[in-house]
Amino acid sequence: MADDKEISELVSQSMRRKLSKEEQKKIDVSTAENEETRRFAALSKQINDSVMGLTIDDSNNKATLPSDVRERLNDSVAKAMSEKLSMSQAGLVTQAFAPSDLNQTDSTIAGNDDEYKEVVIRFQRTRKLAAGGIGEVWIAHDEKLGRSVVIKELNSNAKASPQAWDRFQREAEITGLLEHPNIVPLYMYGIDRRTGEPFYAMRFVGQRSLADAIEEHHDRVKVGQADKLSLHRLLNTFLDICQAIAYAHSRGVIHRDLKPENVAIDNFGQVVVLDWGLAKVLDESELALKMNDNCSLTDSSLLHTSHGEVVGTPVYMSPEQAAGKIELIDMRTDIYGLGGILFSILTGKAPHFSTATETNSKFSEVISKIADANPPSPSDLASVPSELEAICVRALSRKRHLRFDSAIEIAEVVERWMVGQSSKKISYEKLRMEGRELRADLQTQVHDLERNVSFCSGLPPVQELIKAVTEDDEKIWQKRMSTILIGLMEANPGYQSLAFGKFEGDDCTDIVRVEKQQGPITTVRRIPKSRLETRKQNAYMEKLSGRLPGELLTSLVHQSDSADGRTQVSLQSGIPVYDSETEEVFGFMIASCDIYQLLERQLGRRQFGGQITVACDTLNIMSQKISGQLNELSRGKAVAEIIPGLHPVIEHLQTNLEFIDAANSEIYGARIWFDPHVSGLMFLLNH
Amino acid sequence: MDELNPETWVKNYGDYLYGYAYSRMRDANAAEEVLQETLLAGVKHSGQYAGKGSVRGWLMAILKRKIIDYFRSRKKHAGTSLSDDEDAFDPSTALFDQQGNWKPGAFKWAPSPEKNLEMSELSGVVQECLSSIPKGQADVFVLSVMEEMDSNSICEQLSITPSNLWVRMHRARLGLAKCVSEKWAGDANYGG
Repeated sequence: MADDKEISELVSQSMRRKLSKEEQKKIDVSTAENEETRRFAALSKQINDSVMGLTIDDSNNKATLPSDVRERLNDSVAKAMSEKLSMSQAGLVTQAFAPSDLNQTDSTIAGNDDEYKEVVIRFQRTRKLAAGGIGEVWIAHDEKLGRSVVIKELNSNAKASPQAWDRFQREAEITGLLEHPNIVPLYMYGIDRRTGEPFYAMRFVGQRSLADAIEEHHDRVKVGQADKLSLHRLLNTFLDICQAIAYAHSRGVIHRDLKPENVAIDNFGQVVVLDWGLAKVLDESELALKMNDNCSLTDSSLLHTSHGEVVGTPVYMSPEQAAGKIELIDMRTDIYGLGGILFSILTGKAPHFSTATETNSKFSEVISKIADANPPSPSDLASVPSELEAICVRALSRKRHLRFDSAIEIAEVVERWMVGQSSKKISYEKLRMEGRELRADLQTQVHDLERNVSFCSGLPPVQELIKAVTEDDEKIWQKRMSTILIGLMEANPGYQSLAFGKFEGDDCTDIVRVEKQQGPITTVRRIPKSRLETRKQNAYMEKLSGRLPGELLTSLVHQSDSADGRTQVSLQSGIPVYDSETEEVFGFMIASCDIYQLLERQLGRRQFGGQITVACDTLNIMSQKISGQLNELSRGKAVAEIIPGLHPVIEHLQTNLEFIDAANSEIYGARIWFDPHVSGLMFLLNH
Repeated sequence: MDELNPETWVKNYGDYLYGYAYSRMRDANAAEEVLQETLLAGVKHSGQYAGKGSVRGWLMAILKRKIIDYFRSRKKHAGTSLSDDEDAFDPSTALFDQQGNWKPGAFKWAPSPEKNLEMSELSGVVQECLSSIPKGQADVFVLSVMEEMDSNSICEQLSITPSNLWVRMHRARLGLAKCVSEKWAGDANYGG
């Protein structure tokens, strides 16, 4: 037996549905027996009848508009009409189109009939360009103006969602309000007269995106064919994007989905920022100040963003977006987006590309990592100029206050880098030319030295001295030879000594030796026979004795000065002398230069204003010139102490003749070998 | 086309639309809000007005939509479970004992079946009583009875289940019956 409560439920339901016979019988029994059930049934019916379909005309409880409300409503309507009028003038007017043959009518709204205008525009859809999120994008033909346009409309799923409609309209309104050369121009927004579905038409900007341009650039980088200008072209594109975003920010609009795919580059190189579907508008009062009087947003829903909603593209998403902290999203979110685009330009990858691949693209994990992860560093993925790396890392700071304050600021620092880079490139070219000339100059001097040694070794007195049997013969030929050598020394002020001698077991003995005499007046003298030395062969002499006829050996020779114990370094070029009759190695002809003097003379002649450092293979400085002044104090010091960060340069110069600092254009290195991979010098030039 | 001049809408239809909204929403601020949204939407979508039927009817259609939207957003903000406001006011506890039987004198008054009451008077009392029951119950009652929406549409618009709808409706009817009987009984003019 049902209790009273259950019966009351049946009474309620009887007013909405037909009861079964059994249910109706229960009510009948209860109303006959129970006063309260009867009262409830009677009251409910009367209540139902009294208000069913109640209109205001038949109500005696008419509420009237309070005067203050009336005033507010009149103001709102007047404002909305004014906004609508400006929307009409901007081309954002109500229109309609059929699915494949777009036929729309415009009506501007105004106070009088005379002010209504009606036009018909026909669009013929030709090809679907893209589909995503809530919309589909088509290329269409504007039959009246005979031009191609892009039509965007809701996709079939989105048509069922009021939020998607709002978002779609918001996208159109924002795009329509942003008039900038780098923002896609909206031609019109319309409603299909038959289906009531919205669409809008935009300029067709071609199908090439910044993502394509970045991919092409990095493909060329990979195969070593990167055009030097292509990075600058991409950075110029980046500057245009910054300008568009700065303009949008000045209008209170945040894009929120900046990525290379949302930037089109048309056939003429015009850069156009697309897809304002996720854009957010700052608060209404602020917006009212930022918008021109004639520009407006007609729907307050434009200002709404779903709280806690994650919006954006994960691999380019800022930490605050990933964390769903909608209240933290502001212009600095777009600065992060710009940093993401710069990152992509520099590395060819999205900033969170590795995060996405590491987590196997599981959306929630990627989002969670992006929200918590440290900013990525471009140099982890590619060789990146250090200044651009710093700009990129700052723009991608997790902490919003550490990012650039505005899109203009980031554009300025990138532009400054580009300008500096151009002048830097020019000045680096000078650096490179200087380094190459220094090396060529020294090479010429070494060749002269070698040629002279070679010449001397072929002089007639050489063989005459080898076969001389009498002391008189020897004296005659020694005198003749020394005359020639003195003449050669005087003609070459850089030479320290010229000597002809013979090998004797492990020793070597000079036969004729002429030396430069340092003093108030520099003179060249012949060393008397009584003072000629027999000495142990050093490594250089040992190597020389093993050379074939005519085979030169040039090397830096380090030897301790017996007088003061300091190590002296000279540049020696020698050639073995063979007995023409026995064809056995007899001795040597060696020319020696003071390498310090040689370098100082060489550097002293240069007008170069930067820093030139010459280092030997022990990585000690041989000579240095800074801002036009020779720096003698640096001689003998380890080069790494004087110029930090040289390790990769020196490493490179072990196997290469040149180091070019492509990334930063700061240092140039040139290598000269005297004895290949044994003895040589390095020229290091920087500004 | 003079009717389509929105400048005249507040003057010509303001009271009617506001009264309608107020009768459904029982809240002056909410009524003003939906009326404002209605007028702005009318301005914005005026191109869609086909010229068939009255402007008032066209604006009424928009208003009805806005009222449902308002209920939906109110329901969304209040939460999704039945317990949010229903527990706070379940008239069953005042009307039934623990065994589920009527408490004696649950309703102080009821019209006799033979006597027709002045409907306009009663509707005024009912609308007052709608303000005294939880909004979640009142909203489904308004949509179901006053707006004559079918159950499926209400469930869909408010994102509630059919059983939830029945519970709300029943509690609304119990609450209204109790409230109306008390108000009627307390006013000698209504008689019995």
